Amino acid sequence: MTEHQIKSCAGCPGKGGLVKKLVTVASRQVTNGKKVNLVWLEATGCSGNIISFLNALDPDVGELLKNRINLCFNNSLMTLDGERAMEQLFATAEEGNFILAVEGAVATEAGGLYNVLGRYRGEKITALKAVQYLGERASHVIAVGTCASYGGPSAARPNPSRSLSVVEVLKNREVIRLPGCPCHPDWFIGTLAHILIYGTPALDDQRRPLLFYGVTIHDNCTRRSFFDQGIFATKLGEETCMFLLGCRGPITKTDCPTRKWNGYLNWPVGANTPCIGCAHPTFPDGTEPFVDYERGR
Amino acid sequence: MSKEVVNPLTRISGFLEIIVEIENGIIVEARNSGVLFRGFEIMLNGRPPLDAIYFTQRICGICSTAHSMAATLALEEALNVIPLSQGRALRDLVHACEFLQNHLRHFYQYTVPDFVDLPKDQCLFNSANEDLRLPKEINDRITENYFRSIDFSRAAHEMLALLAGKAPHDHGIFVGGITVRPTIDKIIKFTSLLKQIRNFVDGCMIPDATAIGQFYSDYFGIGKGYGNLLTYGAFDDITELPDLYVKPAVSIGERKESFEKNQITEYLNYSWYQGPSPQEPSLGTTDPDINKESGYSWTKAPRYGTVPCEVGPLARMILSGEYQNGISVMDRTIARVLEVRKIIIIMETILNFIKPDLAPQGRYEVPQNAEGAGLVDTTRGALGHWLKIDGQVISHYQVVTPSAWNLSPRDGLGQRGVVEEALVGTPVQNPDNPVEIGRIVRSFDPCVSCSTHVYTPRGEKKFKVV
Repeated sequence: MTEHQIKSCAGCPGKGGLVKKLVTVASRQVTNGKKVNLVWLEATGCSGNIISFLNALDPDVGELLKNRINLCFNNSLMTLDGERAMEQLFATAEEGNFILAVEGAVATEAGGLYNVLGRYRGEKITALKAVQYLGERASHVIAVGTCASYGGPSAARPNPSRSLSVVEVLKNREVIRLPGCPCHPDWFIGTLAHILIYGTPALDDQRRPLLFYGVTIHDNCTRRSFFDQGIFATKLGEETCMFLLGCRGPITKTDCPTRKWNGYLNWPVGANTPCIGCAHPTFPDGTEPFVDYERGR
Repeated sequence: MSKEVVNPLTRISGFLEIIVEIENGIIVEARNSGVLFRGFEIMLNGRPPLDAIYFTQRICGICSTAHSMAATLALEEALNVIPLSQGRALRDLVHACEFLQNHLRHFYQYTVPDFVDLPKDQCLFNSANEDLRLPKEINDRITENYFRSIDFSRAAHEMLALLAGKAPHDHGIFVGGITVRPTIDKIIKFTSLLKQIRNFVDGCMIPDATAIGQFYSDYFGIGKGYGNLLTYGAFDDITELPDLYVKPAVSIGERKESFEKNQITEYLNYSWYQGPSPQEPSLGTTDPDINKESGYSWTKAPRYGTVPCEVGPLARMILSGEYQNGISVMDRTIARVLEVRKIIIIMETILNFIKPDLAPQGRYEVPQNAEGAGLVDTTRGALGHWLKIDGQVISHYQVVTPSAWNLSPRDGLGQRGVVEEALVGTPVQNPDNPVEIGRIVRSFDPCVSCSTHVYTPRGEKKFKVV
């Protein structure tokens, strides 16, 4: 599949058709050998991206675990705990051939001690240390969610934990950004599948896959005709354009309007609320106020 | 004497270190530490008040809707908005979806791996647990349901998204009620998904929990802790449906008392914060100091008066009279699973109550100065948000989470936190591999945006890292 063909599918709604196809192709190639090793670190954040990943559909997480990925480390899901969990993490890192997904920003205050991921041989392993160590050794690094991509809510003013994005911590290597609060499961699985089958997907100047972040929400908004006709909602719950209530769709690039969330059922504007720009590089400080009754005055 | 350090304690939301001291095969001391600090209470100062509903959800990825509920209730008090029953009912439905998602995932993805031998061709399921007792047939059945359950926890989030936009981090719960009209297409899809979940819960989840209870029946005698129980009330504010579940209540030493909001205090003595201790949340401070000598956790220590209280599904089920068996590791697990059925029945009642098409919303004026508190029982127990508005922006915000109640460090009186107390006195079968620690702590369904470690004292004691 060429890049052009992939792009032409980007706006397709429906049940994650492209992602499923990519993974099906991936399975043919990947299952020739062994499953790909994946480390999913939860760092300075809310651990909401792994929860969003569990919402994946066709393929779901069970199918991925059975056939496609070896999830070598993830705090929310792994059976091992304590030192044995950390041993598995570092053994995977030393083996080398793995993909690193990081959700959450990286706390740097107090040398990183605001976020300790575990103890290894007695030593506290901070998120900062883990991201640096694993980031040097991973074949690919994916920043999952807005905190990992840009700092996000974890780095919100006045940033008490002095959190940085994973991109800022791993300056010397390529990191793919998948912003969104949380990241849509299709954005992660689609990116992972692209890496496995075709290599790194085409990225924009922010290192986001064009496939998912190519155009603004406003470009494809289901309420766009209301905007064009000047029909604006004056309060939440109205089924017209949210622009005058503070909608950040015009500056935020994702495919939310066509892809939608949670089994492709709904999305924030579909819930008659403004987009709050949760995938925008400046979220949340730069996209406030989220709800602004005064914008229209 | 030996010391066990468990860090990370996995299969929870967030990071936790547990340290225990084991003497003659008994846990004699315990400390839990939350080891993540982001400082949301500090970040919220100066922000637009209405933004708290979406902003505070980022505290937690598995229970974000809980924070949208508490923030909304606090703002409604501050803005003097009284929502219609239709609005309350609709957001209770959304909140209930989050209970289903949480409990399904906590039981199958977080609890089951402690008791069931999962397939080792997936390194996620590598295990050091030597105390796995289920016969092959039952083990195979629960393993299959581990994977099947993902369909139903996802379905719970789909229901949530139908009425609230997306999950995690919903958009629909707002001051005045909810923003999505419950049109017939949404109602029938919601009802259909609920029925599918109900079939799975009745046909699989309850039998699976029962089987685990039978083969690990000694866990009905482990991990009781203080036995004090607290709830802020759940599904109790729809006037026309007065008895859906549980009113605010507290039980101290098995004596039930009426709940007084002003009894909630927080101690900071063993937390990495400077400030007066104890303090009321409406006057609370968040001033981090990781070098504080007595500190060992980012979690503060909430108390009811001076009393440490357990919160969560078991507390609600006992205080509402729905459950009588006892307080232990296995009682918590069984009560959580039975609560899923209870929540489904509540949702069916609410679905019959709501009117189609109506989603009340207004334009809400933020006053120059105001304050409010939002207290609600959510998946893991009692959650409170306290806020003040000054010059139309937030001037004070304090959050007391359910996991702070359960996973607090010691308080100013030297009393252990609830989980610490539940660990102490536990007999450990194999001090080299004490599976009891994880099973006890996970029975509380910790949600700590911080890491907790298991400590035992040093000296001659042998160190064990779990």
